[in-house]
Amino acid sequence: MLGGDAAGGGDPVSGRPPAMRGVRRDASGEASLEAVLAEVAKGNEAAFRAVYDQAAPAVLGIARRVLRDPAQSEEVMQEVLLEVWRTASRFDPAAGSATAWIMTLAHRRSVDRVRSEQRAAERELRAASAPVAYDEVTDAVEATLEQERVRRCLDGLTDLQRESVTLAYYGGYTYAEVARLLGAPVGTIKTRMRDGLIRLRDCLGVD
Amino acid sequence: MRVRLTWPAFLRRGARRRAGSDLHALVGAYVLDALPEAERASFERHLLGCEQCRDDTGALSEATAKLGATAVVPPRPDLREQVIRSAGMTRQLPPAVPAQQDPRHASRTAGRLAAAHRRLWLAVAAAAVAVALAVTSIALGLHLSSMQNRLSAAEQRDSAIAAVLTAKDATTLTAHVQTGGTATVVMSHRAHALVFIARGLSDLPPSKAYELWLMGPAGRTPAGMLPPPGHHGMTGPMVVGQLAPGDQLALIVVPAGGSRNPTSAPIVLVALGY
Repeated sequence: MLGGDAAGGGDPVSGRPPAMRGVRRDASGEASLEAVLAEVAKGNEAAFRAVYDQAAPAVLGIARRVLRDPAQSEEVMQEVLLEVWRTASRFDPAAGSATAWIMTLAHRRSVDRVRSEQRAAERELRAASAPVAYDEVTDAVEATLEQERVRRCLDGLTDLQRESVTLAYYGGYTYAEVARLLGAPVGTIKTRMRDGLIRLRDCLGVD
Repeated sequence: MRVRLTWPAFLRRGARRRAGSDLHALVGAYVLDALPEAERASFERHLLGCEQCRDDTGALSEATAKLGATAVVPPRPDLREQVIRSAGMTRQLPPAVPAQQDPRHASRTAGRLAAAHRRLWLAVAAAAVAVALAVTSIALGLHLSSMQNRLSAAEQRDSAIAAVLTAKDATTLTAHVQTGGTATVVMSHRAHALVFIARGLSDLPPSKAYELWLMGPAGRTPAGMLPPPGHHGMTGPMVVGQLAPGDQLALIVVPAGGSRNPTSAPIVLVALGY
């Protein structure tokens, strides 16, 4: 069989089915998340609670991945959710999914925090001691098809594409820093980032 | 030119030309938030006047967001009320008025492109069925000949199966069935469908049968009774279409005639990541 992990892990039939907790879990559940965001834009607090429940774990997840520091990650998570509340009216469903909008906010905020608070020297030290971020993709809490898909699609990239994409995304490095870490010319890294994401997009079947 | 001279050497090497194709090459780094601040700002200015770049950026952002999908960390429970309280004390931005909304044009284009893309994909999938069936059925441990026989027997259903198996985004996951055997699910988000195959399921008394159910936020829907096992103890393939957001696939033991509302617990539950 092709599949690696058992779908339900050790206990596929625990009384509580694995709920759709993260934004990212339900790629197409965005329709509803978008509808909820429209309510948030009107100042609906109950709708905001629903958005929080759906988005906060994924937002905190990416913040932790990039920042590592639990306290800073919690701050970023709160900032991002407040930003969602504040700017919900500016979300344009025609321009992209609600999940992508929120995850973009979350990632950018995390990266901005890294860049403003840490000096380059510290970052390089961290890079030297940190394992390649890509490996962490495998510590999924629950094996879901979504995670399996992402993992499989990352495996489909060339090494340089994958390392460029994951060091930038999970590591929060600039392309110039990635180039330095990988010992490749910056022009090559920029191209690999783009080509890698294109391949990832095609593999994930994102329209 | 003057700007270029002020850049550090390692940037200068990659920045031969600042306009056109060089900026297009930055779309990956931009989406990954891997541009230094100054370049991010100039890329965003460029986006305003480059429809193609906006389309590219949008599509790649969706893919990038999925990378974030691999890490979920439940926040401390007390943070929830804290955030809700802060929201209550934060004024929201008014919606952008139409004059400010130039992305609108881009959105329509993106929609058209996506539709065209979907049509193209369907055509490709249909054409690729024969070849890819061979490849994927080997991967699934099926006998090609038996697959082809089935194709002639129930062409419509099997072309649906083939569409899933040949989908570029098809993902395979194997799970242990609690009562014995394994279940394999091949799913394509694009096709909104999955193919289910089980192997080595335990024999049931004549009064019982296996049934697939979709369990979603909107409720539960039956997705087909499993046929009796065929060669090598294999059951299926079954195709389940029209997947909805939040659906999970469950295999349940039900009375032989099927069940309107199964009461026994699923013996396999697969989160579809939908």
